[in-house]
Amino acid sequence: MNPYIMSIFLLGLGLGTTITFMSSHWLLAWMGLEINTLAIIPLMAQHHHPRSVEASTKYFLTQATAAAMILFASSTNAWITGQWDINELSHPMSSTIMMLGLALKIGLAPLHTWLPEVLQGLDLTTGLIMSTWQKLAPFSLLMQMNLNNSVMITMAIMSTMIGGWGGLNQTQLRKILAYSSIAHIGWMILVLQFSPSLTLITLMIYIFMTLSIFCLFKMNKTTSINSLAMSWSKSPTITALSPLILLSLGGLPPLTGFGPKWMILSELTKQDLNMIATITALSALLSLYFYLRLSYAMTLTLSPNTTPITNQWRFNTKQPTIHLSISTMLSLMLLPLLPGIMTIIN
Amino acid sequence: MTPVHFAFSTTFILGLMGLTFHRNHLLSALLCLEGMMLSLYVALSLWTLQLNSISFSPTPMLMLAFSACEASAGLALLVATSRTHGTDRLQALNILQC
Amino acid sequence: MLKILIPTVMLIPTIWFTPKKWLWPSTLTHSLVIALFTLTWLTWPSETAWSNLNGLMATDPLSTPLLILTCWLLPLMILASQNHTTNDPINRQRMYISLLTSLQLFLILAFSATELIMFYIMFEATLIPTLLIITRWGNQTERLNAGTYFLFYTLAGSLPLLVALLMLQNKTGSLSMLTLQHSNPLNLIMLGDKLWWMGCLMAFLVKMPLYGVHLWLPKAHVEAPIAGSMILAAVLLKLGGYGMMRLMNILEPLSKQLSYPFMILALWGIIMTGLICLRQNDLKSLIAYSSVSHMGLVTTGILIQTPWGFTGALVLMIAHGLTSSALFCLANTNYERTHSRTMVLARGLQMVLPLMAMWWFTASLANMALPPLPNLMGELMIISSLFNWSPWTLTLTGLGTLITAAYSLYLFLTTQRGPLTNHLLHMEPSHSREHLIMTLHLIPLTLLIFKPELLWGWIF
Repeated sequence: MNPYIMSIFLLGLGLGTTITFMSSHWLLAWMGLEINTLAIIPLMAQHHHPRSVEASTKYFLTQATAAAMILFASSTNAWITGQWDINELSHPMSSTIMMLGLALKIGLAPLHTWLPEVLQGLDLTTGLIMSTWQKLAPFSLLMQMNLNNSVMITMAIMSTMIGGWGGLNQTQLRKILAYSSIAHIGWMILVLQFSPSLTLITLMIYIFMTLSIFCLFKMNKTTSINSLAMSWSKSPTITALSPLILLSLGGLPPLTGFGPKWMILSELTKQDLNMIATITALSALLSLYFYLRLSYAMTLTLSPNTTPITNQWRFNTKQPTIHLSISTMLSLMLLPLLPGIMTIIN
Repeated sequence: MTPVHFAFSTTFILGLMGLTFHRNHLLSALLCLEGMMLSLYVALSLWTLQLNSISFSPTPMLMLAFSACEASAGLALLVATSRTHGTDRLQALNILQC
Repeated sequence: MLKILIPTVMLIPTIWFTPKKWLWPSTLTHSLVIALFTLTWLTWPSETAWSNLNGLMATDPLSTPLLILTCWLLPLMILASQNHTTNDPINRQRMYISLLTSLQLFLILAFSATELIMFYIMFEATLIPTLLIITRWGNQTERLNAGTYFLFYTLAGSLPLLVALLMLQNKTGSLSMLTLQHSNPLNLIMLGDKLWWMGCLMAFLVKMPLYGVHLWLPKAHVEAPIAGSMILAAVLLKLGGYGMMRLMNILEPLSKQLSYPFMILALWGIIMTGLICLRQNDLKSLIAYSSVSHMGLVTTGILIQTPWGFTGALVLMIAHGLTSSALFCLANTNYERTHSRTMVLARGLQMVLPLMAMWWFTASLANMALPPLPNLMGELMIISSLFNWSPWTLTLTGLGTLITAAYSLYLFLTTQRGPLTNHLLHMEPSHSREHLIMTLHLIPLTLLIFKPELLWGWIF
């Protein structure tokens, strides 16, 4: 793609999300979401390939529907209560429709089916944008609304379970990452009504971990478990660290991924939702299983190398790896700093 | 619930139902989306008329402009899909499932 | 505490920056020095039993023996794995020792934590290095299965523990072990409180392992490399016992009724796993099942909550840690020579390795609890306090002791006595390194006979 056009689309992507961040009026928030969708569609379809076109069509349909539902919910609210403010979405029907629309936007459980297929059709860079940056705008809206219902908890638990179950049967890395995103979003939504700042921290840490895992796959140019098995001959250090990143995504202490889970469970027990906390904690085991399988394939078994060259790692890589190293460190070692971050955000 | 509110809500929900249950062709899905957007346009413009507020009056136009952009993106995707898949039936968009 | 922790952390630069030739000797010396310095923890000057207190960590008579055992095991593991990693690339050897060191770091933090959540985090943190050791340095392909079993059994037990601990924190306001035993008794009557009791103990019972949730242990032991088996048998299982002892005194009113099924399961497990040992043909699997059987005794000793039961449990944990680790080392010496764990294929080794037969004899005797050894002291204390609780338990424990003697004899006879098998044409003589490992295992065990009050825990 022409770099000028590319930069315009990337700017639009940033602009849309920023407009949604800044807005207090539903219409402006909706416009931000629309700009965002319209800017990413060409980025998704830039390789004229059946899979990317199909992915962008599916993405377009779901996002346009979700945006229409959001505008419908807010205009219903305006007709009933006369309020356009984001904070004032008080009528139960409109807040439920809004919740469904935003759930469709971020891919929460009953409305999640588009996410694995769309992510599967993208290349890794756009996939990274899709699973990190595109979550920010809907989450900023979710955090500003004061929702208080059990629909959200049901959807969140369903999301953690489905994210775990769905990923078990996959061999494609991008689908696995999509299901892991569904499961993580379930955790974030679970605690949203009790402590929005905790949701923000969870989202932030999820973004760090996803960033490192996508950069890792991009460096290895892998999109399936089979090709993952060859990564030990390319870069031994990052191959040794990658099971730790994966287990951090799975939420094993003492890695960063445990921090949000710990704080969320602590918040849930403070609200006397002990059974829900236990169920959610145990559903993390389902996700952990496929992360563990990825790390088996990647690091813990050495597959016989079919190429005659076993020493690819002797050649310096031309790709910049600074973002990979920074995000890896953040996704492994942030746990002791979390109380500090928590006080800053609160 | 005023009659106007009922009317545009019904239109929107009919459009949404059409998009959900009757989606044989990408074109019909896009038409349903357009129907939803138009019902929202009606809602916004009648809201402006009812309140007689000048400051809110450009919003239906803004919304219409955005929905036009969206529709054009949808049509572009329709062209792209029919070129890559040879058809605009949504059943044919199945190469990403497994 | 930092006197030990900082040198342990600094082992990692030692591992990565020493030249290849000095890698094993320097790490061995370094870790041995650390282990010797931990012996200073054996003095408890204060009357409240907590000493070396700082903001997060402290030692007390319950945790000190386990801490010293942890630090003692690292040089032994390094010695034991020197031979089988010689063919690895140097970086992989360094990675291996780094993992062992990080395991020691996490274990020190776990045993010396004064906060239950800190203990929980470190309890879980030991999973990652152990998992990597089992699944990366194991030999068969089944090691991946074993790693999955290990991880998922432990986590399925311990995630409810996290929720239970957070609930306890909401009730009492603090999880500090220093004050928790002095807090008001909890009012536990509802069904949910019974589930909470289960949640608090299940993680440790799985880790112990209790009969019924023990299936991960034989798999992990069989597939792990020698250092993994050693640390698993010697220290990681003891994390379960330690955690149970810490939590038992706050679970007070409920444990009276709720612990019955678990005690019965543990006692029944002693006999069942003993019987499994009797018909076992895999050497490492036999030793693994014998640890399950011994740990069943420890579990009952902790669950009846008498002072003698606790002391016996602690003594047996330490003694069993040294003994089973020694047995795994012996099994590994056989494995390195015959490349098979099948006992039938390595019979009559007394003819070839006569000095090793002496070690086998001593270790088997220690495993079946020969009179002066601390193993006997632990078993005797647990069995007598169980007898005091209910005389009928003597049938189970007595039968269990009998079966233990039988399979220890079976282990010794099959590996050492009888004719040598015909297919063993080439056999390395035993190395002094292996004798050194065995000496370092059995000397502490013998010396503990002379001063058993080091292991008595809270009693004296």
